[in-house]
Amino acid sequence: MSELINENISIEKTSLFDFHNKNNAKIVPFGGYYLPINYPSGIIAEHNHTRLKASLFDVSHMGQIEINGPFVMEAMEKILPISFSKLAPGKIKYTQLLNHEGKIIDDLMIHKTRDDNSVWLVVNAACKQKDINHLRDNLNKKFNINLRNDLSLIALQGPKSEKILVDLIPEIKGMEFMSSSWFRYKNYEILISRCGYTGEDGFEISIPNKHVVTFTEKLLKNNDVKLAGLGARDSLRLEAGLCLYGHDIDIEKNPIEAGLKWSICKDRVDKQDFIGGQAIAGEYKKGPQRNLLGFLPKGRAPAREGTLIYDSSNKLIGEVTSGGFSPSLGVPISMGYIISSFNNKKEVFLDVRGKKIPADIIKLPFVPHNYFKRKK
Amino acid sequence: MTDIFYTKDHEWIKVNGDEGVVGITSYASEQLGDIVFVELPEKGNSFDQGKDVAVIESVKAASEIYSPASGEIFETNSSLEEKPEIINEDPLDSGWLYKIIIKNKDELKNLMSEEEYKKLIGA
Repeated sequence: MSELINENISIEKTSLFDFHNKNNAKIVPFGGYYLPINYPSGIIAEHNHTRLKASLFDVSHMGQIEINGPFVMEAMEKILPISFSKLAPGKIKYTQLLNHEGKIIDDLMIHKTRDDNSVWLVVNAACKQKDINHLRDNLNKKFNINLRNDLSLIALQGPKSEKILVDLIPEIKGMEFMSSSWFRYKNYEILISRCGYTGEDGFEISIPNKHVVTFTEKLLKNNDVKLAGLGARDSLRLEAGLCLYGHDIDIEKNPIEAGLKWSICKDRVDKQDFIGGQAIAGEYKKGPQRNLLGFLPKGRAPAREGTLIYDSSNKLIGEVTSGGFSPSLGVPISMGYIISSFNNKKEVFLDVRGKKIPADIIKLPFVPHNYFKRKK
Repeated sequence: MTDIFYTKDHEWIKVNGDEGVVGITSYASEQLGDIVFVELPEKGNSFDQGKDVAVIESVKAASEIYSPASGEIFETNSSLEEKPEIINEDPLDSGWLYKIIIKNKDELKNLMSEEEYKKLIGA
């Protein structure tokens, strides 16, 4: 009877835990960590401030993984559906870890560092251990997989982010979107990545645990920065049409049906030379059976995760995977899968507590992305 | 004279004769955060004490409201349809949810006094 799983659930604190309490955050357990869902100003105010100016989020729960060894990129290409040769050093790529059926184990950001023998990954908190297991199972033992628990991760997100961060680190000015670099600040090194998950311009900052509180306080001296929690992070990413692992994507779904085809290198699909390659090539050929789409329900009632989706003849055609209220649009928004044979229609019906609410199908995102583009 | 009673689920009912006005407490409104939608019962419908009668949705989640008393709904707060945030701003007064003809005033004994409720929330 070795099937019994000993689930030893312990919830960890990030290095900013006391700082969050000092700032009167409402703390909840998430992905194995105690994190702020919101601060006293509330989710809507934090959301709107991010779109208007900039907010600071503690995302130290995310797994920062460094993999070292000669020819590490070649080895990672056997696992991931991306092409490092098409990526300049210092660039970041959004991708997914897939199983042999082409289903999503996790989604992540991978950095092509300026060191040929090293790659950097940022993965979801709840998936850390299974990701590392998957990497160990599929990488030669000579590679060193290092979960960087010594580093915190904070995200500065919003249109004023560059202006704010430049005051502390002038060299970040004009950094390309989806690129990263190490910078020296005072007497320590920090990794700054121009990316995020809110649909806005912004930076993710990896910083030694012992310096994170001081650095965060420094950033907050600028009046344009306010703290924001997981609540705003979720409503921001939903408006931006970005998938949340465990909700919109999971081990039952493949990247093609999830609308993530853009993140997969076509040459690699043709060669089928990565884990899940054969399945993904098949999915490319026959087309997905369901598609992730956006819905705008009529009225004010949010249609949340698990809401069933019907057509006008009351046939069940899908399910909502993320839904809530959009502070930017002032209306409810939902994301979910519907069968692909229904794709050409414009309207569906969402079953909210027994009421069939008509909803328009829309192309994601709900709110246009506002990423940084370098002036040519 | 108006009496006020509380439920362990953080609803209040203000009782005046056979009529009751129902809402949620400041504590509940703070816990829920920004309220974005309220689903109110239909006028003329009857509910038993403790039965789910309305739904309040915050940005985060949907929460059921349980009727503090049995009886028939005779008025609902229609201003909440367009401005549900009134509940956050003024939960104990203009953020009321519905008015009910109380069927059995003996049931009010099942509810808490203000003092007992304050103890419950540790105020």
